[in-house]
This record gives sequence, structure tokens and C-alpha cells, in this order.
Amino acid sequence: MSTSAEVLTRPVRRLPGDLAMWFFILAELTVFALLIVAFAVTQLLDPAMFAESRQALDSSIGLALTLSLLTSGLFAALAVEQVRADRQGRAGLLLLAALLSSCVYVVLKLNEYGHLASLGLGLEHNRFFTLYWILTGFHFLHVLLGMVILGWMAERCRRRAYSPQHHGGMESGVLYWHMVDLVWVLLFPLVYVLN
Amino acid sequence: MSASKVLVGCWLGLALLSITTVLLGSAGSTLLLGGTILLVALGKAWLITEGFMELRHAPRLWRLLLLAWPLLIALIVILLMLRGN
Repeated sequence: MSTSAEVLTRPVRRLPGDLAMWFFILAELTVFALLIVAFAVTQLLDPAMFAESRQALDSSIGLALTLSLLTSGLFAALAVEQVRADRQGRAGLLLLAALLSSCVYVVLKLNEYGHLASLGLGLEHNRFFTLYWILTGFHFLHVLLGMVILGWMAERCRRRAYSPQHHGGMESGVLYWHMVDLVWVLLFPLVYVLN
Repeated sequence: MSASKVLVGCWLGLALLSITTVLLGSAGSTLLLGGTILLVALGKAWLITEGFMELRHAPRLWRLLLLAWPLLIALIVILLMLRGN
């Protein structure tokens, strides 16, 4: 049984952002989990073909994609801290930095897509590439939506629409962006590295 | 430690673990290496949920739910790898 002193010193547990965003994140994670497991099961059926197809992917590009997303996530998280300290100008700049970092991801990914397409390794080439295009393409669409959200939040910061007391919308937007990171850290080893 | 320092620390950890993933991947394709790569991915997921998403301050149920997601996927992939061997 807790004493009153223990109750007083216990930290207050708080879920950042809107509860609806968390349910949305859980739904998105469930869809991605099904796709990732489908990829892993298909790899089990034909591991040699998967290992051979993976040779067409450059893991150093995968690493660069990862670092650009993670850096963008850091800038977005730091922006939330600035809003909490009532420094919306800095928060807006950090969100623009997050947007810029995510642009690196988009350029690298489009370059990779173009390279694979030029080699004839499209959606119908084999099972590996069917799943590669579906899985990474679905994630890419989430990145694009996240970038729109980052831009929207940067504009809201410029208009000083948030305050240290009222910034739940920004927390939710940034949580969505971290979910995109979270999915990628599982996708990256499975698609690019794990034979 | 300030919240910003925690975030930068998480990013550093994530960057180092990402480089580790590529190095492990280029070292070969044994079951042990595969399991280690998945463990590294779990560590990265934990840094994102607890650090970036601030779930370290959240109710336990939500922390468990978000940690269960990468754990479940990693377990399924490891089981499939064992079956493949």
C-alpha cells in the first residue's frame, strides 16, 4: 500500500498529444506489421531469390535514408521543446530544418526508385520487388503526408498559433512523424540488410 | 538532464545503432548476426518510443503497447529465421 508521501513524489504520467492520434498510430502500425510479416514469410519461401534481389539495393543508401529520417525526427522533437518554452520562432525554424532533412530522404528515395526502374526491377519483376515497392512505397506516401504536416506546423509557429499551454495539435503532428521513423527502423534491416 | 539533451542523446544512439546495423549486415548472414541485427532494431525502436515520442512519461499501458509492436515483429522474424534454418 502506498504511503501519502510516496503518492506525492510519484511522477505524473502523461500521454503527449491527442488520444485519437494514438489510436490512429496503432492502426497504422498494425497495417505495417502485416506488410512486414508478409515480407518475412515470403522471404522464408524463397531465401535465395531474396538474397540475390537484395544485391540490387545499396545498404549505404539505406543508411543515408535512415539518418535523414532520424535527424528530421530530432529536429521535430526539439521544436516541441521550444514551443513548451514559448519560443515559437525557434520552433518554426526547427520544423523547417526537419522538413529540409526529410527532403534529403525524398531525393535519395526517388533516386533509388529511378535507378531500380531503369534496371527493369519494377513491381512485377519478382516477389521481392513486388513487396519492396508496396512496402517502401506505402511508407514513402506516409513520409510525404508527414512533410505536409511539418510544413503546416511551421506556418502555425510563424503565426504564433501555439502556446506552452496549448500545443496538443503540434505534439500529435510530431508523434505522427516519429511513427514514420519507428516503422522505418524495422523496415530498413528487413528490406536492405537481413539475409 | 534537460529534455533537449535527452533528445540529442537518443539521436546519437540511433545514428550509432544504424551504422552498427549496416556493419553487421556486411559481416555475413548467419543466424546469430541476423538475431543481433533484430536486437539492434529493437533498441532503436525503444529509443524512438521512449525518447522521441516521450512515452517514458506516459501511462504504462501505452508504453507496453508501443514496445510490444517491434518486439512482436522481431519475434516473428526470428521464428521464421529459425524455421528456415
